Amino acid sequence: MSTEVGSPVAGLATAISEVPDPVFSQAMVGPGVAVQPSGGRADAVAPVAGMVATLHPHAFVIASPGGAAILVHLGIDTVKLKGEGFELHVAKGDVVEAGQRIVTWDPSEVESHGYSSICPVVVLDVASDALTDVREDGQVVAGDPLFAVGA
Amino acid sequence: MAQDKAAAILAALGGGDNVVEIEPCITRLRCEVEDGSKIDEAALKAAGAHGVMVQGPVVQVVVGPEADTLAEDIEDLR
Repeated sequence: MSTEVGSPVAGLATAISEVPDPVFSQAMVGPGVAVQPSGGRADAVAPVAGMVATLHPHAFVIASPGGAAILVHLGIDTVKLKGEGFELHVAKGDVVEAGQRIVTWDPSEVESHGYSSICPVVVLDVASDALTDVREDGQVVAGDPLFAVGA
Repeated sequence: MAQDKAAAILAALGGGDNVVEIEPCITRLRCEVEDGSKIDEAALKAAGAHGVMVQGPVVQVVVGPEADTLAEDIEDLR
């Protein structure tokens, strides 16, 4: 059974190798797709149903019942913003539905601080060939499938 | 086990005295050290790091989502 992973934000789906951070572009923590968000303040939503395993203002991990853990990182080096401009709607340990809003943030504001607002969506600790139906170009809206993971 | 990993990472960073600050992000430990030459990249990778990036006194150790827990364990050891 494979798990479909949806986009957490609306924007332009992009190859993960384009992310300006070696941890993501070299898939050090796992393979995935990046989305360059369009527009201003918006919700970032859960890419899969599951449990909120890790939660920072600027990033979160959802562990799906199928075993895949999906990391969504809102912008690059955004840990340095110390949560400013990020509004959380869930708590660590919460069980969420795919598409449920997790964080409200503003990609334009992130960029105004000099950071990239691109959002890597990564499956943690799996081989790169675990992804199928990968979409890494073209516009997506939140919830549109980016890839599937698992056999 | 996790404590051993934290200890191994701390040792590879040059020990508690060499570490100025450790901040966990979701995939990595961001560490500031006194002396960058004391960092043992091979030992960090042997301790389980997926990758190591050194920029002067700032070292990023890529450890995956257990970064939060590891950072707490390392703080306990310092």
